Amino acid sequence: MQSRLQSSALLEFQEAAANPTNPVLQEWKTRGGKIIGMMYHYVPEEIITAAGMLPYRMRATGNEGTELSESRFTQVNCSLVRHLFDSGMRGNLNFLDGVVSVNNCDHIRRLYDNWKAKIKTPYTHFMSFPKKSGPEQAEAYRRELEGFIKSLVEQFEVDISDEKLRNAIKLHNETRHLQRQLYSLKKSDAPPISGSETLTAMVAASCMPREYYNMRLAQLIEDCRKTELSKNHLARIMVIGGEIDDPGFITAIESQKGLVVTDLLGYGFRSCAKDVSTNGDPLTALADYQVNERPADPRIFGRTTEERDMYISKMVQDFNIDGIISVRLMQCDHWGFEQVNLTKHLRKKHIPHLALETEYILGSVGQLKTRVQAFVESIVEAKHVNN
Amino acid sequence: MSTTKRGLERFYQYRNNIRGIISQIESAPEPNPVLLKFFALIQENDEKTIDCVESGKPLISSWYGSAPEIYAAMGIHYFCPVDNILAHQPFFNDLAEMDSASIPADMCGLIKLAAHGVEKGTVPVPTAMIAMLEPCDAQSALHEAWMNTEGWQDVPTFALDPSYGTNKYDYEYFAGELKRMISFLENHVGWKMDYNKLRDVIEVTNLQYAAWAEYNEFRRAIPCPHDSFVGSKLGWAITQHITAGHPGAVEIFKMLAYDAEQKAKAGQGPLPKEKIRVLWADLVPTWADPLAAWLAEEWGANIVMDFQGYTPYEHIDTSTEDSMLLGLAKRNMAEVPMIRQARGSVDVMIEDITRIAKDYRCDCVLFPGHVGHKDQSASIGFLKEACRDLKLPLLTLTVDNFDPRFTPMDVLKRQISEFFEVNGLC
Repeated sequence: MQSRLQSSALLEFQEAAANPTNPVLQEWKTRGGKIIGMMYHYVPEEIITAAGMLPYRMRATGNEGTELSESRFTQVNCSLVRHLFDSGMRGNLNFLDGVVSVNNCDHIRRLYDNWKAKIKTPYTHFMSFPKKSGPEQAEAYRRELEGFIKSLVEQFEVDISDEKLRNAIKLHNETRHLQRQLYSLKKSDAPPISGSETLTAMVAASCMPREYYNMRLAQLIEDCRKTELSKNHLARIMVIGGEIDDPGFITAIESQKGLVVTDLLGYGFRSCAKDVSTNGDPLTALADYQVNERPADPRIFGRTTEERDMYISKMVQDFNIDGIISVRLMQCDHWGFEQVNLTKHLRKKHIPHLALETEYILGSVGQLKTRVQAFVESIVEAKHVNN
Repeated sequence: MSTTKRGLERFYQYRNNIRGIISQIESAPEPNPVLLKFFALIQENDEKTIDCVESGKPLISSWYGSAPEIYAAMGIHYFCPVDNILAHQPFFNDLAEMDSASIPADMCGLIKLAAHGVEKGTVPVPTAMIAMLEPCDAQSALHEAWMNTEGWQDVPTFALDPSYGTNKYDYEYFAGELKRMISFLENHVGWKMDYNKLRDVIEVTNLQYAAWAEYNEFRRAIPCPHDSFVGSKLGWAITQHITAGHPGAVEIFKMLAYDAEQKAKAGQGPLPKEKIRVLWADLVPTWADPLAAWLAEEWGANIVMDFQGYTPYEHIDTSTEDSMLLGLAKRNMAEVPMIRQARGSVDVMIEDITRIAKDYRCDCVLFPGHVGHKDQSASIGFLKEACRDLKLPLLTLTVDNFDPRFTPMDVLKRQISEFFEVNGLC
């Protein structure tokens, strides 16, 4: 389902989301700019921006096989890390000047170990990220961030002052503010932008110079406001999951007339729902944001399922959701249990739910579409009965 | 409708099973004194659990690596919800029933069994729960799932978060976590911490671990004086799942060490001729016994060491409260099996394999590739490199350590046989 949106900014974002690199990233590099890759989230991009470098969320977009990761990983490991490692081995991410990671999950932490051993990006750094939220945990992570800054300063001979951190926080908050505006447009009965186009715009944020991205996103929002609205969907859908960076997944859902009006995805609304505090010590604010403030995902214990469930219920109301699709990459234990928990919660709330399992590189699209089609039909049927 | 408290009926069955096992051992022509002692400890522990449930005494749900010395010092009884489910696996239909649960099939059998046990009500509802967030993702998720399970929703919970690293600050952070756990237990269970008692408990466990280390030394002998997995199977249960600081635990390790010493001196082993010394690079599976018996009979092979038995525990300094908590932090973060090898970077696992292979003069490494150990499966490249450096043949399998159905024993036997033959180990 494509909207009627005509926007050069969207075209630019589509190119960025569909490839590992894009023209503005290449231009940045050509001008001598440094690029630091981040494995998954929880690494504060603001620190990299404050260092005058470009934070790049690592993807294996367009990767076709995992042959070069077979000797380092097994079928027990998720396809995201196998594709990322394969992509790294093929040199698709050679433009990175450094890689930074946290112990996000059992797969990612070993991806880092393997990457460091075999791919030899000039700079690597690892941080211990607490597995639960709390004040002591934010303090512990703040200490890790101090180490990260020290490491960047030593490696790249940059200056990362508090002032630069504050400016970076403001810049990234501006991104979040604009992204929330984009999502707000989708609260309407006939949104001007589709779910796949929205995810495209969100993914593009992770691979472009931030000031430039903000300018183009503002343009996209402006273009959306000028777009003639049309309603050709049967159900309003929310998608919940982890690291889904392929808008094609959302396209498959929307092809069955389930319009994805919001999400709780790593690249999606979860990344922009809240701002980093601009009060007080910037490093404390960044640590607190990552550990305690941003909408929780199941990686963080203690921000209980109850809190996550309440957040979802609120979003269901705010975006007038008809049904939820949760998605899990095969072999992911965090999201495996989260789908079980979600099923219980959504059943209690009488919210239709479809739990999907997928691989990082989208396959079996026909099967996916069939399941979504049946799901959308069941929602329509239920609406009809209730009316 | 049954009025029996949740989980109690199952625990009565466990008790009957243990009684039956003890009777069988006693009726043997030469009863094995170590096994008698071991099962007596298990029985004593299960009785305490039953008593807590029957009379409403405080009962803590805990997990390995959660510093059980602290519970013992506070006089609180604890149990691990999955421990008995695994130990009594052949007597119940849990595996088949677990398949009907909604947990994804690609997850670890232990995790699926644990989730299913609480959901089904075969596990007692504890007074409070101490969750452990390492060494794997599933463990953290499992504890959250329990919190979301009917009957357990109101159980007060504290989660221990071991840091990822191994420096002084990491241990201090975890010592802080242990302090916060003590406060939680004092507030929710109402029992006070007694640091003098903690000192006593730790000193007994220091002896226990010293005796275990001594036993392991004798397993280096050629031939290995005992069968595959012997110390590992008993050691895990009595160090992680019975009340910490029990003098009986020390006694068991000393008895094992004494017996191993005598046999080592006499050059005796369980096999008429030990041909292949194996390093099993993971925990002891629930189906270890038939595997070990086949390895011994068919190939003269003995698994001389595994991750569950390799316990380089260090002595804890009991001079101050802080030294005890710091020592417990290090012990539980860096020495408890599985947490030791799986938490943190790949280095510890590879260092352990290298050291075990050399110290125990292993002829080969069997890496089970347990489906739940995602980190280990993503370490195979490092493992292959280490084995290449050691000039040791390596066999990589894919199994579920806790579900014998995952890879049929016949398939394992064929893979292992081919491996032994191809590498000229027989």
